Amino acid sequence: MSTIAQHDLYRLIGEANGRGERVVVATVAHTRGSTPQRRGAKMLFFENGKTAGTVGGGCVEAEVWAEAREAMRSGQPALHHFSLTADEASEEGMVCGGTMDILIDVWEK
Amino acid sequence: MSTNQTETQSQPISNAIRELLEEGLTGALATLMDSPKAESNEARVGAKLLVKESGDKVGSLGNDELDSVVTQHSLAFLRARDDAKTFRVVEFAPQLEQFSGALVLFERIEAEPRLVIAGAGHVGASLARLAALVGYRVTLIDDRAEFVARELFASPHEQSIELIAAKSWSNALRAAIGSGRGVSVAIVTRGHKQDEDCLQAAIDSNPDYIGMIGSKRRTNFVLDKLREEGADEDRLKRVRAPIGLDIGAVSPEEVALAILAEIVAERRRGSGAPLSAWRRDLRRETANR
Repeated sequence: MSTIAQHDLYRLIGEANGRGERVVVATVAHTRGSTPQRRGAKMLFFENGKTAGTVGGGCVEAEVWAEAREAMRSGQPALHHFSLTADEASEEGMVCGGTMDILIDVWEK
Repeated sequence: MSTNQTETQSQPISNAIRELLEEGLTGALATLMDSPKAESNEARVGAKLLVKESGDKVGSLGNDELDSVVTQHSLAFLRARDDAKTFRVVEFAPQLEQFSGALVLFERIEAEPRLVIAGAGHVGASLARLAALVGYRVTLIDDRAEFVARELFASPHEQSIELIAAKSWSNALRAAIGSGRGVSVAIVTRGHKQDEDCLQAAIDSNPDYIGMIGSKRRTNFVLDKLREEGADEDRLKRVRAPIGLDIGAVSPEEVALAILAEIVAERRRGSGAPLSAWRRDLRRETANR
């Protein structure tokens, strides 16, 4: 399942926070050009390493994972800018190009 | 409790969001993504404010004036029907100079749309499968238990389809529609007697959308009958009958697509016209010159 219903998303966040755990939430805030996900798409990162949802497949996922790990460690939310140039995209065999602003946020109790 | 602590606590927000979704209400979640006051405890990145459609709020961006203008803009954002959008504060509250550079993410919080289908024949069953794929929470009702057996809807993406073997169409429909908010109803039963019971129940429950399958003649017959029985004229006028967009649908699956297209267009305020219409209009103008 690639996308995740809001009902499940906030239940997962609430449950993890309820156990005293931090949840890192990546949200596609803004896009330009051809990007693999719509604005508002979310991916959750849990302390145990599990994830839910997606912000757009292979094109940005590695970079988002790295930033999410950093936010999990520091507890600091930040806005990140990712560009998917045509070259990078075609090298990876992806159809995406364009740019994405992704908020890497931290939800905790 | 320090201001700092209040702003980083997200559990009141996530609890409020879950309540809102369970009640079938709509709201906007505003999150500060970039703040000119990043170094202070006031208006920190990640601060959140949930604004309900009623104007009630939960949480804070850390400044009363900022909360006030963001609350106002949240209501405008909800009216525009975007899922998510970012704004600089200067774009909606230029008077608030100290925060003009602040960047706010607005996200629509709303339960997934629901579709209640009366009739699990070829069209109803196809519509249920297609709508589940598109992200609707689907309830499929029939008075013939064998048409709503789980074995028929057993694949992973069909598991979410709620199947109801109804003794009474109207009771089952009323229960499934509930408050009617965010609910579309497709009436695709096998006969006009069943259609009539279903339409009566649907009109009473006042969902966002009601459509009924049938020829012009059959749908006129049912609508006239309800009119004679004193059904609300405004609600009758909003019924889409015959149901669906004109895409020349023939097979049950195509009919289901035509119905779902109309339901999506209604919810997203689409026109149902081809996106390329402007191009052909332009060509016609050029040709006429």
